[in-house]
Amino acid sequence: MKLFSKLYLPIILSAAFFLNACTKDEAVTVDPTAQLIKLTEGYATGAATKVLVYTESSVINTGYTRFYLQLKDSASGADVTQAQVMLMPMMDMGTMKHSAPVENPVSEKATDGLFQAASVFIMSSMGGSWTMTFTVRRPESGKRGSLAIPVTVTDPAKATVKSFTAADDGQKYFIALIEPAQPRIGINDFEIGVYRKATMMSFPADSALNFTIEPEMPTMGHGSPNNVNPTHAQLGHFKGKVNFTMTGFWRVHLDALHGTAVADTTQYFDIEF
Amino acid sequence: MSRAGSKPFPVKKIILLIGTCIGPLMLFAQQSLPANPFTDSTRFIELREVHLQARTASPQQRLVNFYRGNASFTLEDIMARLPEVSFQRRGPYGMEPSIRGYTGGQINVLIDGMRIYGACTDKMDPPTIYIEPLNLDHVQVQTGQNGFLHGSSIGGSVLLKMAEPKHDEEGNLHASVSSGYSSASKGWYESARLHFGTGRWSFLANGTYRKNQDYRAGGGETIPFSAMEKANYGFSAKYRLNENLSVKADFLGDDGWNIGYPALPMDVGYAAARIGSLSIQSEKPKQGWTNWNAKLYANRVQHYMDDTHRPNVPMHMDMPGLSKTYGAFAEGMRQTGQRHSLRLRADVSSTFLTASMTMYPPNEVPMFMLTWPDHRKMQSGLGAAWTFDADSNWRFQANARVDFITHRLTSTDGKEEVAVLGYDTDGRNDLLSNLSLSATRKLLARSAVFMNIAYAERIPTGSELYGFYLFNAQDGYDYIGKADLLRESSFQAETGIKGIVGNVQRVRVSYQLTGFASYLDNYITGIVEPDLSAMTIGANGVKSYQNLPWALQAGGEASLSGALHKQWQAVVTIRYTYARDDQGDPLPFIPPLKSMLSLRYQPGRFSAQAEWEAASRQERYAIRAGEDETPGFMLLHLRCGYSFPVSTSRIGLQAGVENVFDTFYHEHLDWGNIPRQGRNVYIQLNLSF
Ligand SMILES: [Cu+2]
Ligand SMILES: [Cu+2]
Repeated sequence: MKLFSKLYLPIILSAAFFLNACTKDEAVTVDPTAQLIKLTEGYATGAATKVLVYTESSVINTGYTRFYLQLKDSASGADVTQAQVMLMPMMDMGTMKHSAPVENPVSEKATDGLFQAASVFIMSSMGGSWTMTFTVRRPESGKRGSLAIPVTVTDPAKATVKSFTAADDGQKYFIALIEPAQPRIGINDFEIGVYRKATMMSFPADSALNFTIEPEMPTMGHGSPNNVNPTHAQLGHFKGKVNFTMTGFWRVHLDALHGTAVADTTQYFDIEF
Repeated sequence: MSRAGSKPFPVKKIILLIGTCIGPLMLFAQQSLPANPFTDSTRFIELREVHLQARTASPQQRLVNFYRGNASFTLEDIMARLPEVSFQRRGPYGMEPSIRGYTGGQINVLIDGMRIYGACTDKMDPPTIYIEPLNLDHVQVQTGQNGFLHGSSIGGSVLLKMAEPKHDEEGNLHASVSSGYSSASKGWYESARLHFGTGRWSFLANGTYRKNQDYRAGGGETIPFSAMEKANYGFSAKYRLNENLSVKADFLGDDGWNIGYPALPMDVGYAAARIGSLSIQSEKPKQGWTNWNAKLYANRVQHYMDDTHRPNVPMHMDMPGLSKTYGAFAEGMRQTGQRHSLRLRADVSSTFLTASMTMYPPNEVPMFMLTWPDHRKMQSGLGAAWTFDADSNWRFQANARVDFITHRLTSTDGKEEVAVLGYDTDGRNDLLSNLSLSATRKLLARSAVFMNIAYAERIPTGSELYGFYLFNAQDGYDYIGKADLLRESSFQAETGIKGIVGNVQRVRVSYQLTGFASYLDNYITGIVEPDLSAMTIGANGVKSYQNLPWALQAGGEASLSGALHKQWQAVVTIRYTYARDDQGDPLPFIPPLKSMLSLRYQPGRFSAQAEWEAASRQERYAIRAGEDETPGFMLLHLRCGYSFPVSTSRIGLQAGVENVFDTFYHEHLDWGNIPRQGRNVYIQLNLSF
């Protein structure tokens, strides 16, 4: 009996896999927002455009957050696939205001009907109130308008954005952990976004730093082999590999340097899975 | 002589026990082969077994039969008395057999021809633990030229043959029960055996139960975490199809609870093995293919380690392991003419291994990892032994074996974990070839000189390929496998002389003297990886398995057994092994010079036996493997027995004192220098009808 089930199970499973794969192929083009959560929708008044705002999670945490915008013509209701989209996060702390790092859509053309952007919320709504303003400019009409939404940002259990003042140049940097989003035992992508605080309102991506990483399990005092230090890819994103030999609580230490000049050696990201 | 212990030793009791030593060791009685073994029908079964063995009794077999007498002996106790064998000991039970210093993946341990792999990443469960002397028919240790016939190996094979039911035209029912007590471990031993046979059907059932407490070492110290409890039970049914053919179904189960391993940081909470097989076999030697049998088998070993009884555990952890093997083989022998004979064995097997570790830190998520990433080993092999009797003086033999072995990681989790070490995760394929040639020249006086040369290869073990931070308590390092290890191979030569001197009726001495040497290529050992950080809290670092360019191993064994008027029997064995690596450093786990002398007096129903065991100091130790110098020791054991018939049944009594002088000692292969058992007084009662 066991032998039969052993033989049959893979056959059934592989058959199911193929069937599944076929249906998936057909389903792929249907709805690009299927895996996303609709945060809100509203009108970018002035641009005659309806803006539907999607995120990957209904809870917005401090750290790197992706926004997916679906635009529709407010008159015809037709999908808008050509537009210039800009994000402006703003925190009002009562006595002062500041912005945060943003990544506007790289293209004026929508991908799968969506404009993808991101923002790095550098503090939670405990310190004030966040407003995110989406500005849309329709190239064919030249019309421009904005939608401003309040955003509630909470602190996650393990911080995914860190900041430090560099020892060598005195500048303030923000580092956001992007990957691993779904950590697991094995080789994980390691990706961080690096931003320099130029002014209270400007946080440009930075590619001048270089980094070394070292994962550690503080509870046991061990690390892991064959990690790859993140190097600059584009737009302040640094990519490397981090290896986890087991599940549990990991601390990935991060040293930042300018060439050989040490900028900071105190930062780390805690990852628990 | 005895050292001041925590408790005064009851000398009076010993004297009393020795004084009431009342019976020949039942098996001794059988194995010394009274003139007509078939006169007493109640002893038919065992006697016939002995009779069958006697035809092929090698010096080694004679030793096994000699030492089998103590029914409380485990298989380990018996095997440890063979000059070729020693044991790596992590606890009083579950010792890992080693042949001439070869161990683990360098040797095969087969039960009735079946492959069975331990489910413990710390090697707590070698297959030898599943065979109790009660269900053992015989054990054979194959070295040198024959070592690889049952599976590619450089160090030889331990073949364990389980007892099987015998057909009996008279339809008799036989039963025996035994009970025993050992003082050093306050241990109980209970066993029962039931046999029923008819002309067509025959059945054999047996069970053994052992429960020991923490044992007392020489001098009186109690060794913590050395207790154990286990049950072993087997059932076998045979049906005779015709004169020459029978089919057989066997089941063997083994359960262990709270088995202590004082040299390791963990014990066994529960371990279970289920071993089943179906076979078809020829019953009597005939023309054409003789002694052939074919078997289909499956086994499953589960292993759960436990640290909940240990003090000062930094973090509680679970370490379960699973091993599943199924396979089939056929083997047989063919005589062509008077001069040629051919033995063939074809086998296939598939083994799945997985093991994991989960730690439970306070206020954090559990930490989990696969210590054996899920993997499957598939093996198919063909072995052949061709013997040619050139004339009445010369015999030549050529043995060959090929094995095709594949390893595959079977799960994404396993592959992703192995990828962390930078290894290829597609698995590996290996073709292994083994070849040996031997010549035997008859001399005068029933003696012969023999000489053989061999080339043999072995595949790295699952731990050596894919082990993931396996803690080794002996050297304190975490071990990781290396997926692209080269095969270890050996060029070996063996030579010796053996024979029988004297007359069967009065004085008879059989002797064997063997010398051997092998040159190992790509010797596999653990090498420190300074850049890796140890996973285990408190470990010294990480080692990975790597190939050393070469190693050398050489040694010799001698055994002498003599009988005088059938009332006196003496057995002497002596052995020595020398081993070094390419740097000139000694290899680990190499036993020192060791000798054993046993003397038995058996005038009739009564028997008495003295055993003297001596090991020299081992100065050649491997610092790299965490070894240190081991002092020499001498031990004396005294045993006696008496057996007598009561109507249709027979009662046997055995008693003895082991380690009479309560010597505080450990052997060189004992991990952690944990002292062995001190003075032990045992008594046993056996009833059979
Ligand atoms: Cu860990
Ligand atoms: Cu274990």
